[in-house]
Amino acid sequence: MTRLAWLRERGMGASILVAGLSSAFGVVLIAATGYISAFLFADPFIGGSETLAIVVGILTVLLVGVAVYVAAIVTANTFATIVAGRVRNIALMRLIGASARSQRTQVARQGLVVGGIGAFLGLLVGTGVAAAGVAIGDALLDAPTVPFALVQPSLLLPAAIVALTTWAAAWSGSRRVLSVTPLEALGGSAERAHEDLARRPGRNIAAISLFAVGGALLALGIAAGLVTPLGVMIAFVGGLLSFTGLALGAALVMPPVLRLVGRVFGSSATARLAAENGMRHPERSSRMAIGVVMGVTLVTMFAVAIASTKAVLTTTAGGELPEFMATLLDTFSIVMMALVGVSAVIAAVGLVNLLTIGVVQRRRELGLLRALGLSNGQVRRMILLEATHVTVAALALGLVLGVAYGWAGAQSLLGSVPVVPGGTAGTFVLPALPLVPLAVVVVATAILTLVAAVVPTRLATRVAPVEALAE
Amino acid sequence: MQISTTELGLAARVHNLSKSYGSGEGMVRALDDVTVGIRRGEFTAIMGPSGSGKSTLMHVMAGLDAPTSGRAWIGDSEITGATDLDLTILRRRRVGFVFQAFNLVPTLDAIGNIMLPFDLDGRRPSALERARVDGLVETLGLGARLRHRPHQLSGGQQQRVAIARALATAPDLVFADEPTGNLDSRSGREVLTLLAEAAREHGQSIAMVTHDPVAASHADRVLFLGDGRIVADRSRQSAEQISAYMLATERDEEQRAEEQGAAEAQGSSKPQGVPA
Repeated sequence: MTRLAWLRERGMGASILVAGLSSAFGVVLIAATGYISAFLFADPFIGGSETLAIVVGILTVLLVGVAVYVAAIVTANTFATIVAGRVRNIALMRLIGASARSQRTQVARQGLVVGGIGAFLGLLVGTGVAAAGVAIGDALLDAPTVPFALVQPSLLLPAAIVALTTWAAAWSGSRRVLSVTPLEALGGSAERAHEDLARRPGRNIAAISLFAVGGALLALGIAAGLVTPLGVMIAFVGGLLSFTGLALGAALVMPPVLRLVGRVFGSSATARLAAENGMRHPERSSRMAIGVVMGVTLVTMFAVAIASTKAVLTTTAGGELPEFMATLLDTFSIVMMALVGVSAVIAAVGLVNLLTIGVVQRRRELGLLRALGLSNGQVRRMILLEATHVTVAALALGLVLGVAYGWAGAQSLLGSVPVVPGGTAGTFVLPALPLVPLAVVVVATAILTLVAAVVPTRLATRVAPVEALAE
Repeated sequence: MQISTTELGLAARVHNLSKSYGSGEGMVRALDDVTVGIRRGEFTAIMGPSGSGKSTLMHVMAGLDAPTSGRAWIGDSEITGATDLDLTILRRRRVGFVFQAFNLVPTLDAIGNIMLPFDLDGRRPSALERARVDGLVETLGLGARLRHRPHQLSGGQQQRVAIARALATAPDLVFADEPTGNLDSRSGREVLTLLAEAAREHGQSIAMVTHDPVAASHADRVLFLGDGRIVADRSRQSAEQISAYMLATERDEEQRAEEQGAAEAQGSSKPQGVPA
């Protein structure tokens, strides 16, 4: 069993959880898509509505894609922090002759094992949930005649993708292994507080180009939308590209936002220490924050887009939206937000993990601060502030982006719809801000902050100064 | 009749202090009924081989660790039985620390580290304290380094920043735990000279834990610990005198251990050789 002892290391459990969540989510969504298509085909009225099936299929791919993407970010981050905690060990291995490459391969292999375990567990749980869902669906729709086989080879697809992305994420997160020198085993050198921001001009140029092209396409889509509803297709591609650019360039975008938020909380010792801790590994904090940004952006986007659409349709319908239309839009909105919410949960796991490992790796520093007179109350405040910095920065950016994307979607889709029947085209769609969904987003983020701070705070307040200094 | 620490001319003292770890068979007695005072305005070295209890004594005296029994005071404040928050505030305001390594908060620059005790207290230093800090920065030659972060400083510079921080609040007592342990001999000598000057010229009380006779020779007074007890209390000594004393006690110790071992060996062979 000692061969698998590393599985007990802090962070591995979270990686398994993240892989499991995204794999289960993929399995459930694929099963649901299959079930819905089967139902549609069996329906004598809509029978064989291929367009609808394709739309549902595209949505599935997108939703699973986002979940896997967020999970990969979380895993890469987790492995980066795990490697940071292992530097001494890796240096010792290097000292006695191991090559940097073999050390990195070993970390990546652990990623594959973790991803495999998570994907498999996710497959089991996801299939179970899907089976229950099918049973409920059959009962509700009163359609036991739908010919649908739940267990299909296609269910293996998300599990396999998750296992492979976890492997790749572990590899990309273990870059630091290459820079560990054998000398670090001998210790004595002061910790480098701020990782040098990885200078990767190639990546930054790609990020900026993607963002620029995406932005241009968004504008084009909005313009085209004034003539035809198909403008939304152009805007959609633009949104996808610009957001990918943003995620890729997280280390360019997030640090200034984080620094700004850090300054808002004042200049007390705890606030300053918290702000500095957030910037200790700018790349790590940025990627983590971008995960939360994605969740907030997508939820806000759907909420704003649908509310705006509703507003336009209400006007065109002469002030009263038909009952079934309103229900349909609301249901769609809630379902989409719930589905996107899964990605937000994965990002939350990553945030908890990041903060926890951060505390574990700072034991000596916390011991020093306690010796110098940082009270337990101040420790608690400091860690809560660290969590708050990330979530507030992510919330602010996510809300702005979500409103912008949501409006762009509604505008490009409905710009050509004449508001007054028989009137001219070229409507300007006002971005509607639906209060309830936005309030839910804010409250959920606040809860996430508190939850994310619980475990690391408990660990940090238990650090006895003497114990930490004796290490 | 209760005499206060201050009336005794002491900066800190402990009375009948014992500290043990573990229980039953595996119990280790780190401190065994120690009663001692650290005199005000003096540079005191606490010497002893590893395992003699010198670090434990310092940790208890500084309010970092609780004793198993006995009492301890810093100034006139009793620290045994104080709450964690009281101890924290006491350390912040009235005790300074210099450790062997990892003295500085890596995210703060040099001046940020020096001002940390004031910042943790949520206050700005008074004009007098500000002047004191400026004086320290100048004496310690840190003027050009104030905006440097710890990893940009040499070991000796880091230790000087730690000394500036420890002296900044003019605490009742500065504890230094092997402050030269990680330094080359020249930087080590500089650090010791600075500590000795702080005591001589500014009346700063300092207690330094060390196992290095050269380091201890800079002190006004040397306390020797062995097996959790104070075994000698000497005024200023040369490094040679301290070494000689240490060697002698070590030899005694070995001899005693040998005799004890022989006695035990004899004892255990008894049942076989000589039937009762």
